[in-house]
Amino acid sequence: MKRLIALALAVFSTVALVSCTRKTTDNDSKTTLKVAVLESAYGKDMWEDIENAYEKMNTGVDIELTAEKNLEDVIGSRIKAGDWPDYVHLATGREAGLTETLIKEEALEDISDVLTMKIPGEDVTVQKKLIEGFTDTLATAPYGNGKTYLAPMFYSPCGLFYNAGLFKEKGWKVPETWDEMWALGDRAKKEGIYLFTYPTAGYFDSFIFALLAEAGGSEFFNKCMNYEKDIWDTDEAEHVFEIMEKLASYVEPTTVANATGDNFLKNQQLILDNKALFMPNGTWVVSEMADAPRAEGFEWGFSALPAIDDERYSFTFFEQGWIPKEADNKDEAKKFLAFLYSDEAARIFARSGAVQPITNSSDFVKGENALFYSVYDDGARAVMGGFRATEALEGVSIGETLFNSINSVISGDKTVSEWKEDIEKVSDKLREALK
Amino acid sequence: MNARKRGTATFILACLSPALILMAVFMVYPTLSIFAISLFRWGGYSKEREFVGFENYKILISDTRFWDSCRNSLFLIVTVTAVTLTLSLFCAYVLTGYDIKHKSFFRVVLYIPNILSTVVIAAIFSAIYDPSRGLLNSVIGFFKDGPPILWLGDRRLVIVSVAIAMVWQAVGYYMVMYMASMAQVPKSLYEAASLEGAGKARSFFSITLPSIRPTVRTTLTFFVISNINISFLLVRAMTGGGPDGASEVALSYMYRQAYTNSTYGYGMAIGCAIFIMSFALAAFVNLITRERN
Amino acid sequence: MTSEKLYKAFIYLILFLFALSVLIPVFWVITASIKENSEFYASPWTLPKGFNFENFTSAWREAEMGSYFLNSLTVTILSLVILLCTAIPCAYALSRFHFRLRRAVRALIMGGLFVNVSYIVVPIFLMLVGLNGIFDTTLFLNNKVVLSVVYAATALPFTVYLLSGYFESLSREYEEAAYVDGCSHFRTMVSIMVPLARPAVITVILFNSLSFWNEYIIALTLMTDDRAKTLPVGLMNLMKAQNAAAQYGRMYAGLVIVMIPTLVLYILLQKKLTEGMSVGGIKG
Repeated sequence: MKRLIALALAVFSTVALVSCTRKTTDNDSKTTLKVAVLESAYGKDMWEDIENAYEKMNTGVDIELTAEKNLEDVIGSRIKAGDWPDYVHLATGREAGLTETLIKEEALEDISDVLTMKIPGEDVTVQKKLIEGFTDTLATAPYGNGKTYLAPMFYSPCGLFYNAGLFKEKGWKVPETWDEMWALGDRAKKEGIYLFTYPTAGYFDSFIFALLAEAGGSEFFNKCMNYEKDIWDTDEAEHVFEIMEKLASYVEPTTVANATGDNFLKNQQLILDNKALFMPNGTWVVSEMADAPRAEGFEWGFSALPAIDDERYSFTFFEQGWIPKEADNKDEAKKFLAFLYSDEAARIFARSGAVQPITNSSDFVKGENALFYSVYDDGARAVMGGFRATEALEGVSIGETLFNSINSVISGDKTVSEWKEDIEKVSDKLREALK
Repeated sequence: MNARKRGTATFILACLSPALILMAVFMVYPTLSIFAISLFRWGGYSKEREFVGFENYKILISDTRFWDSCRNSLFLIVTVTAVTLTLSLFCAYVLTGYDIKHKSFFRVVLYIPNILSTVVIAAIFSAIYDPSRGLLNSVIGFFKDGPPILWLGDRRLVIVSVAIAMVWQAVGYYMVMYMASMAQVPKSLYEAASLEGAGKARSFFSITLPSIRPTVRTTLTFFVISNINISFLLVRAMTGGGPDGASEVALSYMYRQAYTNSTYGYGMAIGCAIFIMSFALAAFVNLITRERN
Repeated sequence: MTSEKLYKAFIYLILFLFALSVLIPVFWVITASIKENSEFYASPWTLPKGFNFENFTSAWREAEMGSYFLNSLTVTILSLVILLCTAIPCAYALSRFHFRLRRAVRALIMGGLFVNVSYIVVPIFLMLVGLNGIFDTTLFLNNKVVLSVVYAATALPFTVYLLSGYFESLSREYEEAAYVDGCSHFRTMVSIMVPLARPAVITVILFNSLSFWNEYIIALTLMTDDRAKTLPVGLMNLMKAQNAAAQYGRMYAGLVIVMIPTLVLYILLQKKLTEGMSVGGIKG
């Protein structure tokens, strides 16, 4: 049957020769490095600069750059066709979940050896240059076996963004504990301002992760990420649920309606218009809203989450780069990856606002951005990572259950105890499916 | 005579084979192969697939989110069909049976939503449904005070909001179909009825509707098929299935499982289920609308 | 008599409201496409401050909508040609001849109506990848002709269905006269029956060119190469903007670029549209 179909198609394709798109074969001996990157808030110019800088340094390499906003769609097809890129910059936690899928399918190359490589043009190893802790997370070593599969890139502290100008004008203090937070919420409501909004439910990942760490420290956080038994039925988790329940009553009412991929900017706009006080977000929001009109005296402010006891946490979001197992030029890709941690690359990235997780990153960060990155200097603790990789389970997704459901909790369609029950169920199922 | 017969046979074969070959290669084979894939556990990328038999279908039966999405699909099929059918029959009858000025203007304009891509429709409706500045709430706010209605944010309303967009999109299409059909009803029938003193409304039910009955019946099948498809495209562009899965329809749930939950094999099992259920639904509609005589 | 007038006023009111509900949003998309980016943060229903044509030049050149436009045009026309060349003979044979497997072929085509492209697209893609492997080429992907063939194939069930409905409504006498004149089956079909079915063919052309022009799920999967993209796929890239600085003006300009040709085609062909739709026959 297959052969018959093939034959029939061959007939069509001979007609099709007219618009033939034959592969152009490079005659020179240059290595072609296929680099595929997500064009995110930082834009694609910086990647073009990286391409030029690397080609200048390595004249034998020709980088074929693919930078797309819908990278998953573009390389997803190519990968299915067996055309794997050599290096991919695409973080987990995106709607299409391509990186997660490839982690689940064990299709990523072990890049632990890159850590001990010397950075091209410098005299220091990657491991030495990276800020400590970045390679010990489940977001870089997703199987929990100590081996690194994803390289940390572009870190960004996440927390609550607000209008610092408004706080100055009203003489309000940015709350340091949740009790102060609720008090402020009541006061602001009298002036017609809501305490809280969020872009989409997905933005609660950094929020809840930090909250978990506040409730029980990083050890508790890691237990949650490893789907430990009954972990959501502890006092620590109860704190988190209580806060979420209370928070729900302080959310700006139109938020849920606009919490979609197309309309989330309207929620972010609420902060700029002084209609809501806080939203969970990352540093990219500044460039995202650069063109948006804003209330007079507006000034971005950024804070870690208010404390439950006394420790305040800020989730450190970072993007990830990885090398597919099936890539043709894995060695060259590893060199390229090491290069991305060089001062030269860090400078190029920083020009577009992207900050590499390297020890001397503060040399490159300027202006408003520096304020955000100083959050850890002010005593907030960092929490990093994400859920551990599991087998893919039909109809089961922790992200949907833990984060998307928050929309229903806030609109009052789901009670916190129902939400908790769902989380426990999913956590139990995924524990069985751990890799 | 025999030669002529053979000639006819050759002619029929020559007419049918190009279309049938295309169908076989690009419709039948892929449909069979999604059934084959649905018997495997596979994420969609790796070379390893694990044969699990009908395991995916077993999971499907107890997957409440799948049934929720089916319920939404069914709700859309029923309500959108009922409303669209009524509105498009009304418009078609008015435009063919009445002496209306600017007839062709209305006919041309009402069809326009059908030629827009779903991306445009989604953009239009998210501006209409915007809770604080949208067109709909502005109009409603003109008549009554109260908190804004969250068209896309309320779990119960969101599917209705999608339904409204679907009706808006479909009325013109079916209207044109019914107009074509109504134009073929002999004028003499109406004249006879009018002599007997029947009004326009009466003749609609006693003449028009019975005459175009076969057309209406066929379009019911189209309604089933196109609702399943268009609701998916609109939901994907307008709500992304949200809030919290409240507007998920059968195909969008399939898409989520196949492409974002790394369970491609399961997604294809859902695809097969949708294929069979839509077929069954159309057959059912066909059966109950059959003429009894 | 006044009640009759009131009745008519009511009908006009409803038609008028309907028309308005279509015209306002379409007009809105067009005005949005000439707005400056900063205007998008204000109410969506304010009129544009100026005429910012830059959105269009930016979409056309930087976002390469220009070359995608050409791709879409080629694919749409080619698909139509392939579709008409396969669907017309098939519909004709099915509706004018009685033969043994007729019911089976009809059932197959009706069954095809229920197949949805969103789940068969990956198997098609994998099949083409396999063919690339067998013949050791890259010919089967990123190929406009292959994409057109796939489009034509997926449109076949509905098209054959629509056309055979129309063919069935034509009188037998035409053919009999042609046979008496000694015309072959083929001549009869091409020079007598197809011209008679012209309204239906035009309807089919309109319907399908709209759907080919707007299609993106298949194109997204089969056209992985940047240069081979079609217009709706290019548009998707203008839309996907979460975590990225959004360029709304350019996005709406892209939407208008996609919309205009369909509007023009529709206005050109709309008169024939009603004539050609004959679905499910008629009871006199």
